[in-house]
Amino acid sequence: MMIKRSGMRLSATVALVLAVGLLAMPAGAQQENTPPGYALRVAKVVSFDDAERVINNAVVLVRGTAIEAVGPVDEVEIPADYVVREFPQYWLVPGLTDPHNHSAAGGWFDLNDMVYQANPGLDTRSVPRADNPWILQARTGGVTTVIMIPGSGTNMSGFGTLVDTAGRDPNEMLIRSPGSLKIAQAGNPEWYFGGNGRMFMNWNTRQTLQKARLYHESWSRFEQGAGPQPAFDPTWAGFRELFTREMPVTMHTQMYQVLLATMDTMYDRFDFWTVLDHCTFDAWKLGPVVAQSDAWAINGPRQYHYDRTARRMIGNASGWWKNGVRRLGINTDAPVIPQEELSYQAAMACWYGWLPYHALRGITRINAEALGLGATHGSIEPRKQADLTIWSGDPLDPRSACLLTMVKGRIIYDGTTETARRF
Amino acid sequence: MWNHEHRTPRPSVPGGCRACWVVAVWLGVSGAVLGQPGPRPGGPPPPPPERVALTGGKIIPIVGVPIERGTVLIEHGRIVAVGAEVEIPYDARVFDLRGKVVLPGMINAHTWRGLDIPNEQRPVVPQLDAYDALDPSQLFFEDCLRLGHTVVHVIPANNTVIGGMGQVVRPIGLTVPEMTLDDGQFLKMSVTPRPGFDRMMQMALLRETFLELDDALAQLAERRYEEQLKEEEKEIEVGPAEARRRGLPLIRAEDLEDRYRNLVRLRGGRVRVDEQESATLLPPLGAFMYCGDAMDVAPAVEFARKHGFLERTVLVLGGETFKAIADVRNSGCDLVMPEELTYREVDPLTGHISETFVPRVFFDAGLKFALVPGQDDSFPERMLVYRAAQCVRHGIPRDVALRAITLHPAEVLGLGQRFGSIEPGKDAHLVVFSGDPLDFDSVVEQVFIQGIPAYDRAKDVRLQRLIAPRPATVEAPQTSAPTGPQTARTTRPVEETQPTPAPQEGSE
Repeated sequence: MMIKRSGMRLSATVALVLAVGLLAMPAGAQQENTPPGYALRVAKVVSFDDAERVINNAVVLVRGTAIEAVGPVDEVEIPADYVVREFPQYWLVPGLTDPHNHSAAGGWFDLNDMVYQANPGLDTRSVPRADNPWILQARTGGVTTVIMIPGSGTNMSGFGTLVDTAGRDPNEMLIRSPGSLKIAQAGNPEWYFGGNGRMFMNWNTRQTLQKARLYHESWSRFEQGAGPQPAFDPTWAGFRELFTREMPVTMHTQMYQVLLATMDTMYDRFDFWTVLDHCTFDAWKLGPVVAQSDAWAINGPRQYHYDRTARRMIGNASGWWKNGVRRLGINTDAPVIPQEELSYQAAMACWYGWLPYHALRGITRINAEALGLGATHGSIEPRKQADLTIWSGDPLDPRSACLLTMVKGRIIYDGTTETARRF
Repeated sequence: MWNHEHRTPRPSVPGGCRACWVVAVWLGVSGAVLGQPGPRPGGPPPPPPERVALTGGKIIPIVGVPIERGTVLIEHGRIVAVGAEVEIPYDARVFDLRGKVVLPGMINAHTWRGLDIPNEQRPVVPQLDAYDALDPSQLFFEDCLRLGHTVVHVIPANNTVIGGMGQVVRPIGLTVPEMTLDDGQFLKMSVTPRPGFDRMMQMALLRETFLELDDALAQLAERRYEEQLKEEEKEIEVGPAEARRRGLPLIRAEDLEDRYRNLVRLRGGRVRVDEQESATLLPPLGAFMYCGDAMDVAPAVEFARKHGFLERTVLVLGGETFKAIADVRNSGCDLVMPEELTYREVDPLTGHISETFVPRVFFDAGLKFALVPGQDDSFPERMLVYRAAQCVRHGIPRDVALRAITLHPAEVLGLGQRFGSIEPGKDAHLVVFSGDPLDFDSVVEQVFIQGIPAYDRAKDVRLQRLIAPRPATVEAPQTSAPTGPQTARTTRPVEETQPTPAPQEGSE
């Protein structure tokens, strides 16, 4: 009830701000779409390219939807017709990516269809809502790419949808659908139907995946000319990319035993492209197991855990890192944690012992790679999609604000034109 | 067809060293572990010593007479020699145990601890396995080490009809496969009603489960025959009974659905249709059958006999079951004692209280049994040595009591060849006590699990913290002067005691 009311208040505020904004500068928003290119002049570009370049006093050229060039001021020539935005004291980093997000739905209603203990037929493809209040919040925090996954009320809650946080309609937002399969092995679904243990849940989830595997295998045999054509089944068709590793499984997994079960079932038995989302609590103690795999560990929200053994707070990300896990990112679980606080989650990970550069990398490049977007997203390099953000300082410094968010070459949030931040 | 699965085989216990790492975390040195960068510098840590010699201690081998100042020699996790005169290889890691007592690792034959919940809500789940819920990070396993319980049979609890499979694990290891000593050989069943059920319902569900199995197997036999005919492109030309008879030998192990597989294994691994049996398709399985009350023993035995698994059944007994001792004896089953060893009755008319020490009744009847720890972490009953000591107190001979926490539980689990005594060829599970194990002043000082030095009391940070002498509490002077602190009691180290002594009652 309270959520609903505050949500309404939020939307009302957003509507008001938007209306005021539109009245104040009716031409501005339209103009932004038209220039042939942007030249962004900044104090520092943290590129997260393969050379791990950090370029001081730099210019980033954006043409169309892509990054055209990036380099020091004196090496990059700015074409005459480009719109130049001057941020000579500020940082430019890739747009942030959140691999565990529910907020593209824009409301709590569409998050979780708890029909069965495992729901292989469900898909969030119809859920993302353009310009919803939560998405606007995401832009304010520099978040440009999210995977909109269903909630964790059941063990298998459906396919997620990979979207930009920009776009005038759901199709324009769409990057990939299905974007991942969402599975939660524990830490919520046990409440379903009056109580389940992990013995039953893990067995049951595997049963469902086993059906999907048999469907995939029968189609594979057919495609190789070694079997009859099976009947098409929309429930299982989407699963095929899991078995060919073209799509990840997004695991809501947390706590030692649950993560262990994830590595056992999803990684070892099914050999999935495994993204261990949300892997908080003491899951980091399984670092030696995860480090030997090619699974991605995405930690958050909540970056610390009171460790009963050490009798003190332990930074989860720090624990993963020190246990050798390098495919390490950070997520928010927005709107449980507001989407704009993704950078703050990374800052918190550093407060509890992780390293700032790697934490920033963990909310940009690592997260993009975890979702299979490494070729187009996650770093400031020519020909990559122009998803970038400009910050008033180090994005991991809680005092810093995101001042400009660009997605596909389009400015979708401009903090410089507003007297007060929306959120 | 879809409905079956097998676990991906993993190398059994490859990382003894990784296990040690976990132990290190458990023992509270996680600060140091955290300080290590992930892939440890210079590659993996050294493997556990290939040869270990425990010398100078008194050895209680369980099988055979105790050896004063003997040596146990361990190679690659197995005991290779025991005796007073054992030659120690030059490269063995030697532990000098003079003045200590060495006992085989104790065996907890029946516990749900280590799982997330005792039982699933669903009453009949023969397809489930403790493997899927076992949590190596639970403090329970750390406590097992501390108490010298080196083999733990984790199996769903008693509030069930058919509760799932158990796993036999050691209390060290980062993952379940690393902990696993033996894939469980037992399915949990209960004839005592689970909460919300009565006995009729409980037995009806048990019967129904096997009736459904019979029905499914009969259909499967028919289907297999039809499938064969289809392959040969023939039409079916016989009646259903004949089709089942011909289809029975065609059933393969992989044709059995998960929910039937363990039931078939329970019946010996053979498929039975219309009083005929197939060849053995699967390894047989035993049952841990809970009988909470005396009246439950007879139905349990009858059910197990009817379905052909009585000889592989272990009776998990409740306190009152000693009253059905004749039924228990006639069953020939292995026995697990109740968690509450003393059975207490109050005469409703006279108020007279009578107490029965249950193991004594079984001992007097000439039966072997395994003792299990109590579930409550705050009572000494959770210690197997204490349970054995209780038995001795109630007149059970010392060697029988010691066997009831070592060799007998191993035999109950069908693992008597591997665990439970200090003999050449057995897994090197050894517990070093500071004195006689049944003396309550003795403590577990070291534990070896398959030759791995898994526990050292001196490095048990959590325990040290618990038993460390506390700073003395000093009563603040109760003077009428308002100058003293507002709090009446202050705590400070002894050496800081004020020069003017406080009143006597505050000296503690």
